[in-house]
Amino acid sequence: MFPTKLITTPVIWELGQKFKVITNVRQASVNDEIGLVSLSLDGEREEIKRAVAWLEELGVKVEPVEIQTIEG
Amino acid sequence: MDKPSPYFSNLKCRECGKLYPKEAIHVCDFDFGPLEAAYDYEAIGKVLTRQLIESRAHTMWRYRELLPIDGEPTVGTQVGFTPLVKADRLAKALGVRELYVKNDTVNYPTLSFKDRVVSVALSRARELGFKTVACASTGNLANSVAANAASAGLKSYVLIPADLEQGKVLGSLVYGTNVIGIHGAYDQVNRLCSEIAGKYGWGFVNVNLRPYYAEGSKSMGFEICEQLGWHIPRHTVIPMASGSLLTKIHKAYGEFTKLGLVDAAPFSVYGAQATGCGPIAQAMKRGTDIVKPVPKPETIVKSLAIGTPADGYYAIHAMRDTGGFAEDVTDEEVIEGIKLLAECEGIFAETAGGVTTACTRKLIETGKLPRDESIVICITGHGLKTQEAIVGKCGAPRVIKPSLREFEEQVYNPDAAAATA
Repeated sequence: MFPTKLITTPVIWELGQKFKVITNVRQASVNDEIGLVSLSLDGEREEIKRAVAWLEELGVKVEPVEIQTIEG
Repeated sequence: MDKPSPYFSNLKCRECGKLYPKEAIHVCDFDFGPLEAAYDYEAIGKVLTRQLIESRAHTMWRYRELLPIDGEPTVGTQVGFTPLVKADRLAKALGVRELYVKNDTVNYPTLSFKDRVVSVALSRARELGFKTVACASTGNLANSVAANAASAGLKSYVLIPADLEQGKVLGSLVYGTNVIGIHGAYDQVNRLCSEIAGKYGWGFVNVNLRPYYAEGSKSMGFEICEQLGWHIPRHTVIPMASGSLLTKIHKAYGEFTKLGLVDAAPFSVYGAQATGCGPIAQAMKRGTDIVKPVPKPETIVKSLAIGTPADGYYAIHAMRDTGGFAEDVTDEEVIEGIKLLAECEGIFAETAGGVTTACTRKLIETGKLPRDESIVICITGHGLKTQEAIVGKCGAPRVIKPSLREFEEQVYNPDAAAATA
């Protein structure tokens, strides 16, 4: 999930440049408030972990596709 | 190994419709859409009649052809068929003509609607050969998995946030489950659960068993229709955490209509949330289907405090398509809701029940719910589970000496009572 301030930043391109991961967008919806992207990341486990940490530092909320595994 | 059910045919992606085998999988390979159980309605239509259903035991399994297992249920065989209470006193208090409470506070065995979903998930888990089941939960789901796994002889693990209240932890520990507290934010716990499910081949009821688990909620909708004399209520108000229950009651009404078990009739579904964590209700009010996550839920209604609701998008469409709406209420209104339901109907609901009752009142007052048509409100868990929420909010007992004079002076004055009679 991208906050508004990142809308003009090419986050996924940068991700592919900075880390040895293969990115593949499977689904996306963007409006003027928020962008939701289902992104598959292929690569070494540690490299993916670093990539996710970088995204989070940037202010992107990252969840596994199995969102909401905690229930009431 | 059970023979494959002739009725439950596949798992199917809710986005692209791609069909999958009936395994422990839950997302589409192509678009990451959620998988859902699909049925052969033509085959079901040939066998499932009102008479057949009525001839069966009073449990949720009387609708077994519409639930995603292959053989007979083996876990939670006593779950469901909770009372649908005609709530005349609450109707009067809210100023409406016809109101019913679907009372899952007395669902067996752990006093919440979660027993419905867990009995399906664990029955299916056994069919798929799982020996260990698990869940990540803040309360009701954990209790239900622990209890139902214990009675089924399955090994279970319950993952909880490390700072969860003792009372809720006890409700799982007593069943001999492995309770694991995890330090860290919810997102990190989520990721860990996915990794465990993938690596150790455990049946996580709300991860890889989710398509089966979620379908259990439909039984609440089926029961409502049957208990109303095979009619769909005109309006149904449903609490929303992930939004799954709302979408499944919507699906249940649709399936009964498709099968001719009820007459086709218009119906509307409404969602209820707490203002301190109401991402679906707020999206609905903004007129969008993009649900903005709530990073830090702040409400006493822990059982609905899901900041990133998995079925939010689908819940919004179900409400929109049926002409329903969503509402949210403050913690103060939640407590008033709990008290109103208890004082009018003798039903002690947990905080989520307070949300549903208070949202119903708000929807009526704002004209979103008409006063002269049938309304069902879904009450999903017992108040004994969240007693801390109302401690000090319901007054205190008056204490007197064991003397009749003191009783008459301080509690009941017969002359004054006669004067006001």
